[in-house]
Parts: sequence; C-alpha cells; structure tokens
Amino acid sequence: MTSVSMRRVDDVPDKELLARHAEGDPHAFAELVNRHRDRMWAVALRTLGDPEEAADALQDACLSAFRAAGRFRGDAAVTTWLHRIVVNACLDRLRRKSVRPATPMGDDATFDAVAPKMPDPTDAHGVSLDVHSALSQLPFEQRAALILVDMMGYSVDDAAQVLEVPPGTIKSRCARGRARLAPLLVHHRNRRDPKNVGGMEGGGMP
Amino acid sequence: MNPAHYDYETLADLAEGLLEDDQAASVNAHLDTCADCRDRSADLADVSRILAEAPVPSMPAELAERIDSAIAAESLNDATVVSLEQRRGRRHWRIMSAAAATVVVLGGGAVVGKMALNGASDGNHSQSAGAPVTDRTNSNGDSASRMAPTMGTKSLDTTASAPKAAPGYSVSHTGTDYRQGQLNQQVGRMFGKGPELQVGGGPGADEQLAQCVSKVAQGKKPVLVDSAKYEGKQATVIALPGTKAGAFDVWAVGADCSVLKHESA
Repeated sequence: MTSVSMRRVDDVPDKELLARHAEGDPHAFAELVNRHRDRMWAVALRTLGDPEEAADALQDACLSAFRAAGRFRGDAAVTTWLHRIVVNACLDRLRRKSVRPATPMGDDATFDAVAPKMPDPTDAHGVSLDVHSALSQLPFEQRAALILVDMMGYSVDDAAQVLEVPPGTIKSRCARGRARLAPLLVHHRNRRDPKNVGGMEGGGMP
Repeated sequence: MNPAHYDYETLADLAEGLLEDDQAASVNAHLDTCADCRDRSADLADVSRILAEAPVPSMPAELAERIDSAIAAESLNDATVVSLEQRRGRRHWRIMSAAAATVVVLGGGAVVGKMALNGASDGNHSQSAGAPVTDRTNSNGDSASRMAPTMGTKSLDTTASAPKAAPGYSVSHTGTDYRQGQLNQQVGRMFGKGPELQVGGGPGADEQLAQCVSKVAQGKKPVLVDSAKYEGKQATVIALPGTKAGAFDVWAVGADCSVLKHESA
C-alpha cells in the first residue's frame, strides 16, 4: 500500500523484509504485517473470541514485533515468530484483564467478526458461531494449540515452536481439546451425511 | 472381554499416538468390535475437520489502518527510522500535496471560522491557514455570517506567512480534550461544525512546536494544529489531510514531540 520505494515487494522473502526493517527501511515492517495480517487476525480472534480484545492484542503484537525485530534470530520462520508474538499478546491481554473466559455471545459485531456471513447453503455462519463458542470453553493452552494445528494447519512441530513447548505437549493439548470439543460440535457431523441435510430433523440435536 | 466404552479423552490420545503401546492395542481391539466407540473416534476426526473448515475472517479494514498508523507512529518515535521517514516524506511530498489541497479546501470553512473568531477576540494571533477557495460550510446562517466578513480579508495564498519553514497553519487553542479512538471524529467535528468551535486564540507556533509540526507533517500541510489536551494531558493535536476527503491523519504529541497517539481514517 505505502510501499512506494520498493518494486515488487511481494517477491521479497519475509526474512529479508525483517532485515530491511531492522536496517531502518520504513516500509518493510508494514509490508510484512500486511502480508500476514489475515492469519494473524484469525489467530488473535479465535484465541480471544472478542473482536475488540483481539484488535487490541493484535496491535500490541505488531508493535512488539516492530520493536523486537532486531532480536529475531533466523532459526524459525518469520511467521512462526510473528504468531508467537500474537499468541503471547493474547495471553497478556487475558492475564491483564482477566477477561471472562467465555465470550458473551449476542452482539452483532461479534457475530460478524467471528463468523463472516457467506453465501453458503451449508450454513458456514452457523458452524462458525458454534466453533467460536465451543473454542471459548477451552483453556487457553488447548485453544491455542488447536487453533494453530487444526485451524491454521500448522504441523505439530511448528505449533510447538510457536508456543515454545515440546511437540508432545502440543499433541496432548490438541487431544484434550478435541475431546472437549467433540460433544459440543457433534451435531455438525450430520452435514456429512447427505440424507440428514435438510432432513426432517432439521440439522441435528441441540 | 470387551471393556466398557472408551471416552473421548482416551480416543483422542489414541489418535495422537499418546497411549502406551499395550493400552493402544486394547483400545484398537475394542474399536474393531464397537461401533459406538468408532463413532466417537469419528467425532474426534470431525472436530479437526470442522475447525479446519471454519472460514478465516479477514482483518477488518479499519483495524488494518489502525495498525498501519500505530506502526507509522512507532517509526516516528524511532530516531533511525525517522530520518528515513523524512527522506521519504520529501519524496512523497509532491504526490501528497494534491490530496492535501483537496482536503484543505473541504475543511476550509471551519478553519476560516476559527480564524475569524481569533481575529474578533484578540487580534490576529493565528498565522493564517489555507483559506478555502469556496466556502460551502454549513447552512448555519448565524455563525456563518459572523465569520463571513473576516473571510474576505484573508489572503488565499497563505503559506508564506507561516513560521519557519513549516507550511502554513494556525495554532488553535480549542480546549478540546481529545480521546483515544476519537481523534478523527473530534477533528472532523471541528471542521464540520464551525459554530461549535470554541477558540481561545493563541500565538503561532513557537520554534519547538514548529519543528515538531514539521517533523510530523513531513511536508504536508496541517489542517489543524490544536494546542489542547489528549486524554487529559497537555498535548498538541496535529491533523493532516487523510487519504480521503473528510478523513484526517491525526497525531497527538506531547510537549517533547513524543507521539502519544496516531490515528488515521
């Protein structure tokens, strides 16, 4: 957007952008954030549940990353590093405000933010809301692990790097998180079975 | 032989390979014969699938802008980056000046109103700002007519009268207590509604402030420099033309020119 001085910025690798930023290039960091913002936003929003909290956390995270860029050691992917900062900023917010663990559902802004309305006959909106409220019932560690592994598609090892715990810990957090989510999301299984979609039961039990 | 059914925890651990070998073997054996537990295993796999398929929301545009601004403000606080910013600012100047001109004209009515009030109360303290070519401000006849006379006396070309090298602007003292998240609206309100503007009048920028303004403005022409408050603290609010008409790039700075807040719309 503001990257007037660089041509074809999108060709520049993340690490190069970060290095340019550390050398004082005023556009490099904004470009880096711009490049990854949707995924960073998704992590923050899923982790905190509340769009306003997530927005604040993400801004905190971006500024921390901006300041800490000089300390980035090239041993992890830049996205791993960025997501670690996002997750930590979310955790900080939770600790500082001791935010209610479950997001109070019911205001439209929250609905729209966590569950973008899509022209989708399978009711992606409804699924999103369920996912959102189910996730909010998990402890932070399990939620963060599942967000990274199941939602964002990180490998267990990469998620372990983001969260700075051993891979085995990620596995057990994911397993426990899935075990807790299973009864909450079980009614969405109906969608897999074509006979049940739009059937008399109207999409499953409560 | 078949033990009781397995719960989600055990089945999830099995799927992640977290069970001891012998336990895993017996759970697997049970699964071979128990449809209920196979079903629950499938539930667990579905959890991952449902999570993976949940649509990823895009970052709201206003948040993206807010973060860009925060990063820009952070750059301004950082000495090494600032020097680069300034170089860039000069390069940008020509491009930006077109946009600046537009917004100054749009915001002009109220700027003139402010000058008029200044002039009426205690002589002309304000270095004149860009006066509008046309004043299409509100139909509030009352205040509009109060402002009208002075308006004619202001020169249209004003940059020359500005202190130092900074582009022309006047320093207002509106007494506004600016609030986080409200800067744009508050500045906008000031321009949108001449009559509400309470101006104490004041001298032009002193040298320190002038330097600060030019550092923040980076060659752009401020549409408002208001020596006021931000979140209750003494601060100068500097509004630069935003990227679209009616929007502003607003900075709140402390006495030492530290950036307290940067918001743009």
